[in-house]
Amino acid sequence: MIDKLRSLVGDPHVLTGIECSPYVLEGRAPEAVVFPGSKEEVAAVLALAAEQRIPVMPWGGGTRLGIGMPPSRVGIVLGLRRLNRILEHEPGDLTATVETGITLGALQAELGKRGQWLSLDPPGADRSTLGGILAGDASGPRRHLYGTCRDLLIGLAVVTAEGSVVRGGGKVVKNVAGYDLPKLFVGSFGTLGVLVEATVRLRPVPDEDRLVAASFHRLKDAGMAARAVVGSDLIPSALELLDGGALRALGLDGGAGLLVGFDGVREQVEWQCAEIGRLLAPLGMTASAALDGAERDARWRSLGDLSRRGTEDVAAVMRWGVLPTQLAELMEQGATIAQKNGLRAALTAHAGVGIATAALFGDGAGADAVVATLAEWRTVVNGAGGHAAVERAPLAVKERVSVWDEPGAAVRIMKAIKERLDPGGILNPGRFVGGI
Amino acid sequence: MEALLGRGAVLSDPDELLVYESDGLTLFRALADFVVFPTSAEHVSALVKLARREGIPFVARGAGTGLSGGCLPAEGGLVISLMRMNRVLEVDYENQVAVVEPGLVNLHLSWAVGPRGFYYAPDPSSQQACTIGGNIANNSGGPHTLKYGVTTNHVLGLEVVMPDGELLWLGGKTRDPQGYDLVGLFVGSEGTFGIATKIAVRILRKPQAVKTVLAVFGCVEAASEAVSGIIGRGLIPAAMEMIDQLTIEAVEDAFGCGYPRDAAAALLIELDGLAAGMEAQVERVIQACRDCGAREVRAARDEAERQLLWKGRKSAFGAFGRVSPAYMVMDGVIPRTKLPYVLGRVNEIARAHGLRVGNVFHAGDGNLHPNILYDPRKPGEEARVVAAGGEILKVCAEVGGSISGEHGIGLEKMDYMPLIFSEADLACMHRVKDAFNPEGLCNPGKIFPNNKACVEVGPAYRQHPIEERGLAQRF
Repeated sequence: MIDKLRSLVGDPHVLTGIECSPYVLEGRAPEAVVFPGSKEEVAAVLALAAEQRIPVMPWGGGTRLGIGMPPSRVGIVLGLRRLNRILEHEPGDLTATVETGITLGALQAELGKRGQWLSLDPPGADRSTLGGILAGDASGPRRHLYGTCRDLLIGLAVVTAEGSVVRGGGKVVKNVAGYDLPKLFVGSFGTLGVLVEATVRLRPVPDEDRLVAASFHRLKDAGMAARAVVGSDLIPSALELLDGGALRALGLDGGAGLLVGFDGVREQVEWQCAEIGRLLAPLGMTASAALDGAERDARWRSLGDLSRRGTEDVAAVMRWGVLPTQLAELMEQGATIAQKNGLRAALTAHAGVGIATAALFGDGAGADAVVATLAEWRTVVNGAGGHAAVERAPLAVKERVSVWDEPGAAVRIMKAIKERLDPGGILNPGRFVGGI
Repeated sequence: MEALLGRGAVLSDPDELLVYESDGLTLFRALADFVVFPTSAEHVSALVKLARREGIPFVARGAGTGLSGGCLPAEGGLVISLMRMNRVLEVDYENQVAVVEPGLVNLHLSWAVGPRGFYYAPDPSSQQACTIGGNIANNSGGPHTLKYGVTTNHVLGLEVVMPDGELLWLGGKTRDPQGYDLVGLFVGSEGTFGIATKIAVRILRKPQAVKTVLAVFGCVEAASEAVSGIIGRGLIPAAMEMIDQLTIEAVEDAFGCGYPRDAAAALLIELDGLAAGMEAQVERVIQACRDCGAREVRAARDEAERQLLWKGRKSAFGAFGRVSPAYMVMDGVIPRTKLPYVLGRVNEIARAHGLRVGNVFHAGDGNLHPNILYDPRKPGEEARVVAAGGEILKVCAEVGGSISGEHGIGLEKMDYMPLIFSEADLACMHRVKDAFNPEGLCNPGKIFPNNKACVEVGPAYRQHPIEERGLAQRF
């Protein structure tokens, strides 16, 4: 198989043996790592894997591969870093077509030269590839106004498990011809096909972009303040709710905080920065500051890094989806549960959409305490009608806590899709929802 | 079925079925064996199970305003009308979610939440009649999708009767549900994946300020360039609509909305959002239009004038009735920078077929609506319209566009799918369909190129029985 892979993509683009060590996942080493240079080579590798029934793990920047059940076997790691070209960018159309191995940072830098950006801001733009972001449905604070991958991806090319290139959607912002395949592949975690090209819709870079940081004594007050912002005329681009643990992890004081982004034309941004002060002053706000430039960027970056790989003492991360109005109370309960189990926690949330990230800290945190906390969190969140997924945890924890919730009845449709698109079960098998 | 639904909820008399033989595209007709009117998801589930047991096809139908024949019973069988399931079930203002039944008229949702300062953003031109369920099937758009997105960007969850009759939820009221995005797949699947019986949608707060600008141009090319010019200045208006001269004349004849009759093209540009900074943005838009040679640019002075301008735009399709007995509306999409070229080609194609075309469309999205005018009573004219329409779609495909922006493929455009999708692309879509609808009884004969459908295509004109008896005459 190794020889065949070398003949398909060229000797220098195949790693074997000890060279594969940077690609070990959950303690399992891949049998080979290949870096195809074109979508045709991706197709050839997949056709070979299908024929030999070897599992394939698509790999972009390697930032979100820990999400999912541990793989039982890592066969071929399919690295996409060589597919990193911008194929088309027509500013007048506000669209770009790119290969998916490009990092988000590199893409934004290029688009920025022409006054545009892809309105996605997940953490780790320097390493995360567009393909990984799409496959993992990664998002950041600005989803509050600009939506997520599903709203921005308008067309794609994927290589199927059988090695053919399939296109879905198109290059125009409005398109209902055929089924919306881009939606299917967003968040599919590499289980249905390998994303090789994407067409995305873009936005103009705003004239002004500021961040207002507001502090509160209590999370409950900060939660009410977030509700007040949502119920006001303000149109923030981001609305982040942070508990005391998250503030401490960022080196900031206070019992709770809001980070609110405003962007647009100067008059809009200035009016909003002033108005939010007026709105929140009677709601328990103890201090606020408007940040711009490097200070603003640094604050957003540190928020994103809070629960990432870079923070070495993160013991586990869980992601919740609940109703926005439930957030503050559930975050308080979550912090209490962690404390009861002897763990430090940091909870942050996209307050307008109801997505929370709950991180547990402590290098020496015992697996029992982590397992207990995650399990209790899930019980509470599921009990409130929400969903909870373990985004990051050591293998010893994942063996005891399911990464995903117990799936609902719709899982049968998901399984039927998987069976039809990947009949041999070679694409990231066994890691996704419902054992897909 | 009568035992299940009660008398009066099942139609089988051919005269009554005739009402349901078409949608808004009267070129295609197919007669159902029954039309039924359930009032609950349980009814729909029972009907689907019954149809499946009998092996007869079924298709859901809303208001019938579709424009691609998507809700026609192409292979006969059961038409399941959802018009009696039209309630707003729940509105959660704090979380900005409403749960509605599929037969609810689009505009009625905005009416229901309007008093609290909210609205439902997707606004197809037929929003006074079309239903949310139909919008789900077609992933409907509208003028304001430029800024706010189309139906799929506003749907969070769906209760669905699957093609085997099982009732289940896809997604829900919370974001980012785990697993594949089945909601995203279902929206726009044109009724081939099942029947939505409850729909959770986002509702938005009404913007603080709205400004509408009318820009009048001496040629279509200049108006097209203004569209890109506005985007190039870093602005994303809520809507950017273009109306050409033939359409302006029809609209003015019918409604007198204040568009200059001698203009080659007019752009209706709407900005919304905060009051702060609105004037500065309006100025930028006006300047962009002037730079592209607009001969007149003005902002609507008040709400009455704004409504009048929009009335002209939204009533344009109806106004064509003034200038032609029939028209066929096309729905191609192109990259907006290709507008001048493609509009030129559309006119050439129409001329070559001896036809007139009126353009009224979502210029900001590049979503064209050439309306080819014709007289169905003139032999051969309809065939020329169909031929011209095919050529226009080919041009859209050639410039990297799509054959449908919001009307769907349905029966009308299934044979054009290969213009933009390869065999492998279509095969992949087929597999996805098979996962939802393995027996193929749910809205068969649509979307994919096929020749099995028993659909009547041709002049919609037929003599009424009283004409046949010589008791009346059309003129």
